[in-house]
Amino acid sequence: MDIPYTVHARPDTGLYNAKIGIWLFLASEVMLFGGLFSAYIFLRVGADYPWPVHDLDVTLGFINTVVLIASSVTVLMALAMLKLRKFGWYRINMALTVLCAGVFMFNKTLEYKAKFAHYAVKLTDGTLLTGHLPHGYQVKFDGVTELNLSVPLKHSAVTADPVSYVLPFIEGTAPKFKTEDGTEITLDKASFADLSAKAVVKAKAENKGSASIKLVATVPVKVAAKPSEIFGYTESTITFRDGTTATGKLTDDKMTLEVDGVDARGVAQSENSLAFDHRYLGEAWQKAFVENRDHHIAKFEKDFPTRDKARSATLQKESLYFKLHSATPPAEGEAHGDKHGAEAHAPAEAHGEAHAHHPTVVLEKKDFTFFSNFTPKLNTYYAIYFTLTGLHGLHVVAGAGVLLYFLVFDGKRLRQDPEHLANRVEVGGLFWHFVDLVWIFLFPLLYLL
Amino acid sequence: MADNVEEIQKSIKWYFIIGGVLMILSAATVGLSYYELPTHSLNILVGMILATIKASLVALIFMHLSHERSLIYKILAFTVAFAIVLFTLFILSHEDPLEFKGMYAPVEQEQ
Repeated sequence: MDIPYTVHARPDTGLYNAKIGIWLFLASEVMLFGGLFSAYIFLRVGADYPWPVHDLDVTLGFINTVVLIASSVTVLMALAMLKLRKFGWYRINMALTVLCAGVFMFNKTLEYKAKFAHYAVKLTDGTLLTGHLPHGYQVKFDGVTELNLSVPLKHSAVTADPVSYVLPFIEGTAPKFKTEDGTEITLDKASFADLSAKAVVKAKAENKGSASIKLVATVPVKVAAKPSEIFGYTESTITFRDGTTATGKLTDDKMTLEVDGVDARGVAQSENSLAFDHRYLGEAWQKAFVENRDHHIAKFEKDFPTRDKARSATLQKESLYFKLHSATPPAEGEAHGDKHGAEAHAPAEAHGEAHAHHPTVVLEKKDFTFFSNFTPKLNTYYAIYFTLTGLHGLHVVAGAGVLLYFLVFDGKRLRQDPEHLANRVEVGGLFWHFVDLVWIFLFPLLYLL
Repeated sequence: MADNVEEIQKSIKWYFIIGGVLMILSAATVGLSYYELPTHSLNILVGMILATIKASLVALIFMHLSHERSLIYKILAFTVAFAIVLFTLFILSHEDPLEFKGMYAPVEQEQ
């Protein structure tokens, strides 16, 4: 049975079914993205930190804009060629559209990868250092001799699970432990299940609330873990995420950071930022920072003598968010300002060789309060950036998938009922134009303004 | 899209022209964003105006809304109305213009 009005229009509305359907769908998509744009407005107005402007890679974003506009034209060309029954050109234009989508997503991958590798560290005085962690960041313990595990008798969210939460961070392949009654075991799923069962029985008999198991390492072991992989630590104890504690000695919790930016906008006296402490960047960089800052302030006063300096977010950024481009500070009078955003360097710096262009500081744990890579965890700007561009990226993939389907699998319809295929392509093209429309607003809001 | 050959070929010419205009406007948006106007809000306003012009070109010409059927316009009228309500609700919850200013006087407490 044929579905009516899929190829030819209904006489009363003048439209075929899919056209009404796609416009209804696009109407709902407007509400979806409208909600997220409202979230963007809220987060920006309510931000208690300087909202990043021109921090993303504008060049890459602009290339993506051009690519998406080009793909909007090619999908229209595909439809026109199909209507003119020029099937060869139809296929070429559909393929070009899908190719543009591929380029867009590839660029997006470059952007995202750079952000995952780039870190920001907040120091105790409010300074933000940005850079890369060439060796990652781990807390290291030595001479760990004892593990104390706790299995609660009543149902609890936290119960000892050394196989998942402790063993991955103990160096060495199969550490051996001695239980309280002297037996030597290799800690794994089976042996722990056994231990746990025995301890629970014992604790029940003694009417306790939880069963505790103590394991002594036959040879002292080393523990190394990222702060996010454990619960907490002191000079002599680590607490793992399952509640297990281990006693040993903290050997290293310093962070080796290759610094590519000093953001002193949160510091009262920017030249006295902790970043320029003699242990870290030192006096030479402090001089370069002050020179850059004073240069931009002087330029602003000359260009805009009547404007309020405190109200210019751009001036605050140019004078106080200092970018480092070399391993040693520039000689006086050189290298003022920076046209690229904070994230613009990042793609190149994923490689080892480029790291030689930045100074390395070894931060003591007591000097920083928070650190994160450039992901939603860092601040609300990156949270909304990833949400908006991620959802938009998914729409690009879905739209390209639909167009690719028409290109590859609708050969029969192309030969036998091209008018029907033309309607399908028109409807797919309408979705594609909507995706372009969203990007037209996304690009300025996130990259430029 | 139109169904006869001449109109389709005219449209094709326009698609390329509008595509070019869109790219030029995008470049202009990028350039203008680096020129600091007296307040940053002005920069945002200019950017959004340019974005709206670009979006209108895409909607009216690429998406053929300039010569669509009335049923589509009626559907989109609902969309516009709902979108306005969506943004207004958010803005109202942040900026509350409905302040009670002396419509009633609270009862004086006698101590």
